[in-house]
Amino acid sequence: MIRALADLHLVPVPGDLVTNGLAVAVVALLHVQVAAYLQGAAALSTISQGIALMRPDPRHERFAHGLVTSMAYVFGFGAALAIFWVIWILTVLWGHAWVDLSIVTFWPLVFEAGAFLSEIVLLYAIYAGWDRLSAYPRARFGMLVLLTVAMWLQMDFIDVVASYMLTPNHGDTNQLAQVLNPTSLPLQLHRTVGNIAWAGAAIAFYAGFSYLRATRRQRRRREPELAGARSVGAMAATEFAGTPPSDAAARRGYLDWVGQWGVLWAVMMSLFQIWIGYSYAKEIQLHTYSAWFRMMRGILSNVFLAQIFLLGLIFVLGSLYFWQRMRASGVSRLWVQRLCFVGLVLATLLAVQPAWFAVDEADVIAAHLDRPWWDGGLLNPIGDFIPWKVFALIALMVLGLTSATSYVRAYSEGRVRIGETTRRLQVVLLALGMTVSVMMMVMGVIRENGRQPYLIHGELTIQHQQVVTGPGP
Amino acid sequence: MSTVDSERTGLRGRAGEVYGWIDERAGTTELLHKGLYEAVPRKGGWAYTLGSATLVLILLQLFTGIFLLLEYVPSFQQAWISLDFLQHSDRFGAAVRGMHLWGAYTLILIIGLHMMRTFLSASYKRPRELNWVSGALLFFLVLGLAVTGAMLPMDNAGYWTLVVVTNIPHYIPFIGTGIRTLWRGGDFVGPIALTRTFAIHIWVLPFLMFALIGGHLALLRRHGEFGAWVNYSTSSDDPEREITGRIRAAEPPYPTKRIERRYAAPRETVNFFPFQLGKDVMVSIVLVAVIFVMAFLFGAPLDERADPSTLTYTPTPEWFYLPLDQLLVFIPTTWLIGFGIFVLMGAAATLFTILPFIDRSTHRRPLERPEVLLPGLFFAAMIVMLAVLGITRLYNL
Repeated sequence: MIRALADLHLVPVPGDLVTNGLAVAVVALLHVQVAAYLQGAAALSTISQGIALMRPDPRHERFAHGLVTSMAYVFGFGAALAIFWVIWILTVLWGHAWVDLSIVTFWPLVFEAGAFLSEIVLLYAIYAGWDRLSAYPRARFGMLVLLTVAMWLQMDFIDVVASYMLTPNHGDTNQLAQVLNPTSLPLQLHRTVGNIAWAGAAIAFYAGFSYLRATRRQRRRREPELAGARSVGAMAATEFAGTPPSDAAARRGYLDWVGQWGVLWAVMMSLFQIWIGYSYAKEIQLHTYSAWFRMMRGILSNVFLAQIFLLGLIFVLGSLYFWQRMRASGVSRLWVQRLCFVGLVLATLLAVQPAWFAVDEADVIAAHLDRPWWDGGLLNPIGDFIPWKVFALIALMVLGLTSATSYVRAYSEGRVRIGETTRRLQVVLLALGMTVSVMMMVMGVIRENGRQPYLIHGELTIQHQQVVTGPGP
Repeated sequence: MSTVDSERTGLRGRAGEVYGWIDERAGTTELLHKGLYEAVPRKGGWAYTLGSATLVLILLQLFTGIFLLLEYVPSFQQAWISLDFLQHSDRFGAAVRGMHLWGAYTLILIIGLHMMRTFLSASYKRPRELNWVSGALLFFLVLGLAVTGAMLPMDNAGYWTLVVVTNIPHYIPFIGTGIRTLWRGGDFVGPIALTRTFAIHIWVLPFLMFALIGGHLALLRRHGEFGAWVNYSTSSDDPEREITGRIRAAEPPYPTKRIERRYAAPRETVNFFPFQLGKDVMVSIVLVAVIFVMAFLFGAPLDERADPSTLTYTPTPEWFYLPLDQLLVFIPTTWLIGFGIFVLMGAAATLFTILPFIDRSTHRRPLERPEVLLPGLFFAAMIVMLAVLGITRLYNL
């Protein structure tokens, strides 16, 4: 046995598109979508359960229950995917990096695993005991708070590892240097709000899809019957047969409410991303210049423009939804919403204007512009940025906030009546959910490719990985 | 001393006679009664302790500041030496300086929470608009005191804070350079800059602050405490009649004119003494104890003596200026710094100060006024997040 092990032949991992490229990307992006949904949904279910405790609104109780159920289903798949991720990608393909990371970030990984186990216990206890815990709503709320904290801690610890891979503080293995590496806190804020936004968008997608399905079923069921009726009275009798209209209306009303609740979270949380993302990019510029150059001025710059377009699209779709949803309820004087929508479209177009640079990275390095002045370079920490883009980002934030606020005000005054929605508005919900999902994928591609050819920036490349190909000659 | 006086004051013998003499001339008993037996809303009393805690902390700053003045020398050459002596050779010097520093930190935190509480409970609405405006101005003065105080030690941190902060006005178009020169007493930071900053810290800002505190307290006495919206709910079948009864039974100074009737008088009240005062005292004692412990455990740092020629020292802002510092990171070019500091921050500060004149609705419950609550909480969260992002940058400089 020992002899056989000694005979194993190690060769570098083949760097082809399928193994180290596409396959890794598919697993990683799926993993991110599932994990992000779980974390965001835990926060939203806790908020809704808290609201249900404070005021008698059965929708929040039902919503929290629905989210917990969805989390229990998604968690099983997510956990299997995560295990597959660790075994196949990390151990088989990136074994060297994984061993290195396990040594350098040992404690964050241990705590992350602990948080993961806590989540399993808490989530399935809440899921299985939901009805029994109805008698103790405060206890259920307390368990949901613990679940959210466990989810957040898990993300927190894995973010320490992920950010260390991008900005490893020149390989400093000090624990505090890892936890407070330059992109650690920006990444944590970025994902905390981003995950809630994603959960909101996913919920809005679900609500829109279910609404369309419910109304399509009704149409299909009734259309042949209505066509076959020979009088107006017979048609009316057919219309009221089957599912009592009140139940169907209540179901539609609930889905409408869930949809707008999800959109609000998706839009409001994405508003933070504008400047958290900017701050994140700034730290990459100051501490891992080559990765920043690749993302912003190099090969990935057009992908980054697509990312900014998708960010703008979230606000445009959100604003369109708020505007049309108010219109569907007959709210008058919608000039604020109209103005926000037009402004958001223009600001998005302004933000995605490409900028052409004649320099390449070698020129920048030669001019000492690749390092901040405290590292002996000439890079201004405030930095250069295209001014119109700053104005575009400020406009996105102000107009997005105004649009959401205007909608919430109309809702709180009872001018937006739940249930008075349209099928067309559900398509906007579907588009919003898809946009956020695609945006997360694009972001993942930018981050992982920005670091190339390194796995741990400046320390370890993909070519350093080794695989076992079988007994040697 | 007459029997009537003895009954009023509860004092007998010689002490009673002396008190009666003073009371006859100064009206002390009446003042005490007016101050102590004011009716305050029953619910939400703990949240209301933040205002009195702010006052206690300001007084703590005043007292510890006076002690520091006994040894501090506001001279370019002597400032650091005097503080070094105070820190290492004076038996209680380090502790007093520590209390001044941690008191300032706690004050900024508590005044921020006090404003947040006022914002959430909509206590700034008519007729209390000027309470909010004076409170907002007090908040800015406290921030001004904190930053000017940080410049005085003339260690590296203080010197470079002085350089950076006195440089900020020059971004104002046309008059900026003149303001910088006026503050610095020249083009560069020198002895005059320290003397002027010292004067601003111990005379100009405190004078304005105590004038505003006087006004703030007078307005509080005039309009009474609002409490929270929960104090104004009605329980009878005829709410109008219930509200009218409340207004009739209410003691002055509750306003009964030019305000939405529902919020003219609270449903249940208690006397300020001992109910509210007891809570106020408890919170203030805890805060002062925390400051005391922090001062003994961590003290106040004194960096190396200022070296204007250094090329290696990286100035970093105090934690309460981290959001502003981080905001500058978002601003791309030099000409936009003026826009960021003066237009964006100026607009935000103005909107913050004139909030009662923007939010004119009659609603008081947070969920009934989302048009104010949503942007307010968004910007509060933004400030916290900017501070968190700023911490990363500080650590990795």
